[in-house]
Amino acid sequence: MDPLSWTGAVGAILNPALLVVSGLFIVAIILMIVLSFFAPPVTLQSNADGTVMAQGGIFGLVETAVRGLLFALLAVIVAYVVSGIVLPYGDAGIIGAVNKQFTPVWISLVVTFVVSIIYKRKLGIYGKLFDNIIGMVGFGLVMFWVFTAIYAGVFDMIATHDPLSQVSGLKNKVPGVPVPGADVMAPGSHYLLGGDNLARDVFSRMIHGSWIVVQIAPLATVFAFMVGITLGLPAGYFGGKFDTGLSFLANLVLAFPVILLFYLLVTPEMVETGIPSYMAAVLFIFPLIFALVLLNSRYHTQPALRTIILAIVLGVLGVLYLSLVNQAGTVLHFLPGWLDLFDVPGGILVVFVSVVFVNSPTIYRIVRGLAMDIKTRDYVAAAQTRGEGPWYIMLWEILPNARGPLIVDFCLRIGYATILLGTLGFFGLGLPPESPDWGSTINAGRGLLSIYPHPALVPAIALLSMVLGLNLLADGLREESLKD
Amino acid sequence: MSDQSLADQSPSDLDLNGEVYDGPILEIDKLSISFFTRLREIPAVMDFSAKVMPGEALGLVGESGCGKSTVALGVMQDLGVNGRIVGGSIKFKGRDLNTMSPEELRDIRGSQIAMIYQEPMASLNPAMKIGQQLMEVPMIHEGINEKAAYQRALEVVTDVKLPDPKRILNSYPHQLSGGQQQRIVIAMALMSKPSLLILDEPTTALDVTVEAAVVELVKDLGKKYGTSMLFISHNLGLVLETCDRICVMYSGEAVERGSIEDVFDKMRHPYTQALFRSIPLPGANKNDRPLVAIPGNFPLPHERPQGCNFGPRCDYFEAGRCDSQDIKMAPIEGDELHETRCLKSDEIDWNAPVVAGETKTKGEIGDVVLRMEDLRKYYEVNASSLFGSGTKKVVKANETLSFEARESETLAIVGESGCGKSTFAKVLMGLETATSGEILLYNESIGNTPIEKRSTKTIADVQMVFQNPFDTLNPSMTVGRQIIRALEIFKIGNNEGERRTRMLELLDLVKLPRAFADRMPRQLSGGQKQRVGIARAFAGDAKIVVADEPVSALDVSVQAAVTDLLMDIQREHKTTLLFISHDLSIVRYLSDRVMVMYLGHVVELGTTDQVFSPPYHPYTEALLSAVPIADTSVKKKHIVLEGDIPSAMNPPSGCPFQTRCNWKGHVPGGLCEKSVPPVRMVAEGHQIKCHLSDDDLASMEPVIQIAAE
Ligand SMILES: Nc1ncnc2c1ncn2[C@@H]1O[C@H](COP(=O)(O)OP(=O)(O)OP(=O)(O)O)[C@@H](O)[C@H]1O
Ligand code: SF4
Ligand code: SF4
Ligand SMILES: [Mg+2]
Repeated sequence: MDPLSWTGAVGAILNPALLVVSGLFIVAIILMIVLSFFAPPVTLQSNADGTVMAQGGIFGLVETAVRGLLFALLAVIVAYVVSGIVLPYGDAGIIGAVNKQFTPVWISLVVTFVVSIIYKRKLGIYGKLFDNIIGMVGFGLVMFWVFTAIYAGVFDMIATHDPLSQVSGLKNKVPGVPVPGADVMAPGSHYLLGGDNLARDVFSRMIHGSWIVVQIAPLATVFAFMVGITLGLPAGYFGGKFDTGLSFLANLVLAFPVILLFYLLVTPEMVETGIPSYMAAVLFIFPLIFALVLLNSRYHTQPALRTIILAIVLGVLGVLYLSLVNQAGTVLHFLPGWLDLFDVPGGILVVFVSVVFVNSPTIYRIVRGLAMDIKTRDYVAAAQTRGEGPWYIMLWEILPNARGPLIVDFCLRIGYATILLGTLGFFGLGLPPESPDWGSTINAGRGLLSIYPHPALVPAIALLSMVLGLNLLADGLREESLKD
Repeated sequence: MSDQSLADQSPSDLDLNGEVYDGPILEIDKLSISFFTRLREIPAVMDFSAKVMPGEALGLVGESGCGKSTVALGVMQDLGVNGRIVGGSIKFKGRDLNTMSPEELRDIRGSQIAMIYQEPMASLNPAMKIGQQLMEVPMIHEGINEKAAYQRALEVVTDVKLPDPKRILNSYPHQLSGGQQQRIVIAMALMSKPSLLILDEPTTALDVTVEAAVVELVKDLGKKYGTSMLFISHNLGLVLETCDRICVMYSGEAVERGSIEDVFDKMRHPYTQALFRSIPLPGANKNDRPLVAIPGNFPLPHERPQGCNFGPRCDYFEAGRCDSQDIKMAPIEGDELHETRCLKSDEIDWNAPVVAGETKTKGEIGDVVLRMEDLRKYYEVNASSLFGSGTKKVVKANETLSFEARESETLAIVGESGCGKSTFAKVLMGLETATSGEILLYNESIGNTPIEKRSTKTIADVQMVFQNPFDTLNPSMTVGRQIIRALEIFKIGNNEGERRTRMLELLDLVKLPRAFADRMPRQLSGGQKQRVGIARAFAGDAKIVVADEPVSALDVSVQAAVTDLLMDIQREHKTTLLFISHDLSIVRYLSDRVMVMYLGHVVELGTTDQVFSPPYHPYTEALLSAVPIADTSVKKKHIVLEGDIPSAMNPPSGCPFQTRCNWKGHVPGGLCEKSVPPVRMVAEGHQIKCHLSDDDLASMEPVIQIAAE
């Protein structure tokens, strides 16, 4: 069987088109930048009859050209995607085949966008995101990976091979290489993005890696937020000695060399003393405390209802917590086997501890600042004068009104956590070495980067696009929440 | 140049090219301004015309959001990214500002037109000394040297009546008080000797007595420099005091325009009339001559009705006529330069007496509910901050506060910033505990019981209505939920259903539609939010409600409705209302007794009639004179206080008011500076804290007199 070329048959038409359009686009952009120094600015002139007229001049003309070329460029890119999906496997080359694999993701994305744009006026801040190009691009990138992760992780679609299986003879082979023994042109008959140094499929590993990234990064960030919020709210609300002490501690943690911490966490002597386990036990209890205080402050006026709600919520969370903490072979092993629902591999625990450790001081500071600001509002005074407890005020009066900046920060921080995941993998910490997550794969491919760049490049681009997406999404959200 | 007085070279008689010019300084013709947002175009100002002659002051009044500031910003050609002039012209000294180049505009803005904003700090650079900021103006625009600029700065600072000009020039903005900062902003505007001064609510952020002094200053300077002024305000009284002509705006349009006398005494537009009827002028009374609130709400710019914008709220509305055509400004027969935007101005009987609303019977004043005895509240603060080393200072926020309040009574607490009103409210509510003294609620002492230790009943009995409607409700919770939460906390209702019913009843009580229960606060107007705040305060059937300036942030037309609502609820529930305010007009209108506070002391306490007529405490006298009254027939005694309110950290020795008192000279032996005056009963239930002799007190004349008609 033949190896696949990058663009296959459609390349004959689309490649020159892409070349021409992008060339013109760059020329126009340069022209625009140069002109912006000389040409008069675009002004709007009002006429006597109340209409408005744009006086574009030459600058306006170039601007229109840039916009037109941008659309043309997008059209060419869409053509690549569509031709890949429509044409039979292989006819549109590697790019076409990759797009064909992503078909369910593309469909989901289109459906999400169409539905959201139709109902955007009814969807609050989420809907407003669709008024903002940057936010839309960011949301699109993020959702692309979220959908990919779900289809790959839950339904086992998209990937063409098992991320761990090796096929002899494909070690470090270039993208589009045919798999020995396959004889029909069909998904799986090629290593679309080549093989890595253990002869595994780079494409499939990247796809499966997304599932790990999409699961762990947001969850770890949630924990960091829980810790930051639970400490930041009272610090900002009460102030005084408590605040001074905590803030000092936060600064101390921020000044701590993080890499050292990582190494400490995984040295066997440390593990033996049980410190990571205890840390996890402390760390994971925060959501429990959080839920307890949240619900109790809200429902304490109706004791019967409160007891029922708390029993249910804490029961569920408690079981989850215990099975999370309890683990055979560590110091914390007390549950009978049937109650221990699941185990978390030690590596992931390290990831969680690190993410929380690195992020919660900053989140603490943000929340503290917001709480100090919001506590001066009259509605907080009103709550005080009707005798509400401090935790109700913090969690139900202050926190909801601090959500805007926190949501934005949350997006950014998922990005950091993803990178941190990669960084940890890079040091050989965190996840097991054969894990397909992006950080580990970049690390594994780094040794032969100058000879065989693709095994490292593919997950790097994936990571880059996802973090970029999160940042753009955060930007869009920030911009929209500032408006009205 | 520097030895010449500024006033001699009045700029207003020269045009932009330095030639003699005697036409109108500012001529706005059919101006329309829109803001373009994502959703739609917002026409903020439509078909607005106005003219300001040299040396003339034009007042622009209207409710919040009617487009006053937009007009001002339009003149400054500073509408931001999304604002645009979509029609008409603005001529400054005969030249159209719309067609000028940015350079020309910048030049004019700096030197010929100056603007003063509401917030003084917004116009001052906090990191630069006052002197430098002032000198910069002429150095940039006229290129004069540093020495001449310093001379001129010194001159204007003296002109705006700041004490010790040299020291002021050498200080940073944050070292000055609000009133002083606003004076500096005015000085800065005057540095360039502008022909036109635009003042956008220049005194809203200031205290009443300070406001009176600043207004006085602006008036004098206008005369001295011959500067024309565009004075924007929502306060009709202020406009009466400062301006020659007035333009009333409603929903983006000018609805009536004319000289002060014409518009105040012979108004020819239903909106102007309604506006005057909704403000508490002397003579209005909550029981037999209540205020008439304007029904309905101000239309949003994109929801304006067909035809007359005021139509839906107008008493004289005629379907098929008022709503079928665009209405133009039309001159009024017999008056000079008096115009109105009403089709029926000729037909309406403008002299018809106000239809007296139902006369309400006053609630019977009952037993004493709340008694304060010798209450004191001191705060300890670290004088030298950083490490709080040793030196503690005591701020006396409340000194020997004694009074009682009865059932169904309205007790007004009047005073300017820093007088201890809020501290008093906090102690009463239990957010702070008293330093000494007693608070007795139904003979139970609560002064030293913090709120956590109070019984639910006590908490529900004493509730509060807050000042800022935009801040009083939690923005993330529905209106109904917030009221239900109060019910839950006060243990009212046995289940969710009962509480919901009660919540809907409370909405009825404050005259809001029940559908509002599911709305978010941002979907409500300021007045509506304030009503929800009132409903929440009455959730536990409060016996005592502390209302902290409940209407001062609302528009006049809404103020009347909210005040009336409070009065109605009081009559029905026999509530004791502690009404904190600095607005003496509204206090006179609704309170039974008045307590005047200054720097933590009660300086005067008596029934409303006693406090509003002589003998006065010297501070009360000044306060009364400072309140602008929108009635041309009222003659006021003119009393201007020197200086600002001292800080509570550094109170003066002896009488708290001695630094500003005009009567101090009448007390022999410098007693005022030495000892705190005793409380004296001058009549049954009327007490004054002052050293003045009985003869001096008896010699006082009434401050406000209504000329016989
Ligand atoms: N930048 C803007 N974008 C959109 N709409 C605006 C903008 N600025 C003002 N508006 C709208 O234009 C109308 C007039 O506003 P403007 O600020 O001139 O009112 P105002 O009379 O000065 O009110 P206030 O007494 O509260 O200062 C309002 O409906 C306001 O919401
Ligand atoms: S035109 Fe009609 S609706 Fe408008 S103010 Fe006059 S009478 Fe009222
Ligand atoms: S005691 Fe003296 S300073 Fe104080 S108010 Fe009376 S006269 Fe004025
Ligand atoms: Mg304004």
